[in-house]
Amino acid sequence: MTFVIPIGPQHPALKEPEFFRFEVKGEEIVNVDIRLGYAHRGIEEALSRRSYEHDVYLVERICGICNVVHTTTYCQAIEQLAGVEPPERAKYIRTLILELERIHSHLLWFGVAAYQIGFNTLFMLAWRDRECVMDLRELISGNRVTSATNTIGGIRRDAKPEHVPTILRGLDELERSTKYHIDLFNSDRTILARCTNVGVLTKNDARKFCAVGPLARASGVDADIRRDDPYAAYDKLSFDVITEREGDVWAKSMVRLREILESIRIARQAIKEMPSGPIRTKVNLEIPRNETIERTEAPRGELFYYALSNGTERPERVRVRTPTYANFASMKLMFVGGTVAEIPIVMWSIDPCFACNDRVALVDSHTGKTRTLTLEELRRWRH
Amino acid sequence: MEVVNFILGSLIFPGLLFVSFIGLLYVGIDRKVTGHMQNRIGPPVWQEFLDVGKLLSKEDITPGAAQSPIFTAAPLVALGAVVTVMLLIPVSSAQPTLTMVADLIVIIYLLNIPAICMMLGGYSSGSPFGATGAGRHVVQLFGYEFVFILAILAAVVRVGSLGLPTIVGYQAQQGWLVLDWRLLPAVIAALVTAQGKLLRVPFDIPEAESEIVHGALTEYSGPKLAIWRLAYDVETIVVAGLLAALFFGGPTTYVIVSIQIPGIVDFLIKTLAIVLLMTTIRNIMARLRIDQALKFFWTFATLLAVISLVLVLVVP
Repeated sequence: MTFVIPIGPQHPALKEPEFFRFEVKGEEIVNVDIRLGYAHRGIEEALSRRSYEHDVYLVERICGICNVVHTTTYCQAIEQLAGVEPPERAKYIRTLILELERIHSHLLWFGVAAYQIGFNTLFMLAWRDRECVMDLRELISGNRVTSATNTIGGIRRDAKPEHVPTILRGLDELERSTKYHIDLFNSDRTILARCTNVGVLTKNDARKFCAVGPLARASGVDADIRRDDPYAAYDKLSFDVITEREGDVWAKSMVRLREILESIRIARQAIKEMPSGPIRTKVNLEIPRNETIERTEAPRGELFYYALSNGTERPERVRVRTPTYANFASMKLMFVGGTVAEIPIVMWSIDPCFACNDRVALVDSHTGKTRTLTLEELRRWRH
Repeated sequence: MEVVNFILGSLIFPGLLFVSFIGLLYVGIDRKVTGHMQNRIGPPVWQEFLDVGKLLSKEDITPGAAQSPIFTAAPLVALGAVVTVMLLIPVSSAQPTLTMVADLIVIIYLLNIPAICMMLGGYSSGSPFGATGAGRHVVQLFGYEFVFILAILAAVVRVGSLGLPTIVGYQAQQGWLVLDWRLLPAVIAALVTAQGKLLRVPFDIPEAESEIVHGALTEYSGPKLAIWRLAYDVETIVVAGLLAALFFGGPTTYVIVSIQIPGIVDFLIKTLAIVLLMTTIRNIMARLRIDQALKFFWTFATLLAVISLVLVLVVP
């Protein structure tokens, strides 16, 4: 006999509201139904009602954790629309902050992953180590979380040379703690028992369902926008794309932890090779009709922006596809056949960010009945 | 006189009042030490009193599907059972408040009642989380209980008595049972199973919060949840007290520089040490899956207990 375990919209395993309907037979999961849209905020519509400069602040608030990568992608898209190139120094500082953001995002992920498998001590210790990178971000941009550094045509605050020794010291400390966590994840018996052969996504399935980011790389798909389609200063810096073969939760954790080490390497290079010069170019924001796409590698995977201008100082349309949305398709494969005990860690292994993802509501709930809108209905609604 | 003594014993010392105070205090210490181990400040030592007090004063919300006498009675029966065990455990001297023949069997039975009540509460709560938690608890009970009994049996065979007072008395003359190398595996097995009995990491599977919210207790709120918390805290101290009496000499009176230190001090020190040991274990591990936990209990832990039992029987 199967019965239904509802995970969400409110559940301790979820950091944000979203609904997962698990059909289980005893402890085994036989089916899963994912319903999205609980954190819908209407951001895409709001973007096309505000000016380009105002939109920078709005895209920064699409996601709290990866806010810099959202503004960077948005600014790069608008810079492309306007046909301007930001100064070299701005590109390097963007790269530095992006990498610090990746470190902080991965450490946050790592801590919560430890919590999901019931290892609260590791959760606290990982977040303690994360404080170090938060301090560095505050040093550079003035803010711990939403850095408010990017603007169209460059950046708003310059990195100060007197901060360089502090940053390098902080990076050393992060390297030390990350190596400790890697060592721990390789050796602790209870962690290995909970993470190996759990939530496996094979390389074939990862390709078939278009997984992105660390999820795809943990399954052996060698894809990274930073290397494949370089933006900011990534084409001038050397780094490796981390992949693992197993595709289970352990591999996903390992990819993220080893990416922290690579990010530290990139950040050091960016600090060392940072050119001097201006940090911002002037942009005329009455952009004639034009359209563009822009891709970046967010901590969670490929982030995609589409922008369409119409000659005014407001965009006609900005479309955002976040990595979480791209990864939802792979989720079912990872769940079915597993047990209830694996739900939190497998769900967390794609590093879901529901607030990023829910910008288009597909659920209509008047008259108390919930039904999903068809694409046709949605088209009619829009016009 | 005997009746008055009994009432005092069950309600004040070492019954409800005393054991509740110590239980809440020790779990508070456990939480504080956990905080320091996790590199945070942690709640104050008396936080558990505040939590239980707050829950007691809260509104009781019971969902319609859960409204049944079983759901209401479960926490009370659980608390009653563990407080009764306290009366059977030597606290201030080798002699507990209530003495019976073969009281270890009664203790083993009574210690299972909280787990059974939790299952009943979970199954009658009408929530899938409660039912899953209860189901997991049943499985876990089958894992740890057998090992727990085997470990106790090793000590019983060694002393040749089922009475706790006799075991404590024996240790006062012959030295602690934990110092006997033949019983060492049984002590380890008993500590591991205590971890499973008290639902602590790595065996907090029946109430794994990130998976099934609060397991069997998901639908409990207000005073009922407070009584569950109290029962859990009392169970912690009772299990620690039982282990102290079985393997660590039980309450002993010492004379230091002509001042007689009563057995209750020894009891408190020993139980605190056992609680802190369990705190350490719960902070250095991740939660296991239920199948892994069962496998662990039935292979590693059972093996330890059986080795001990065989050694006690075979080696003179």
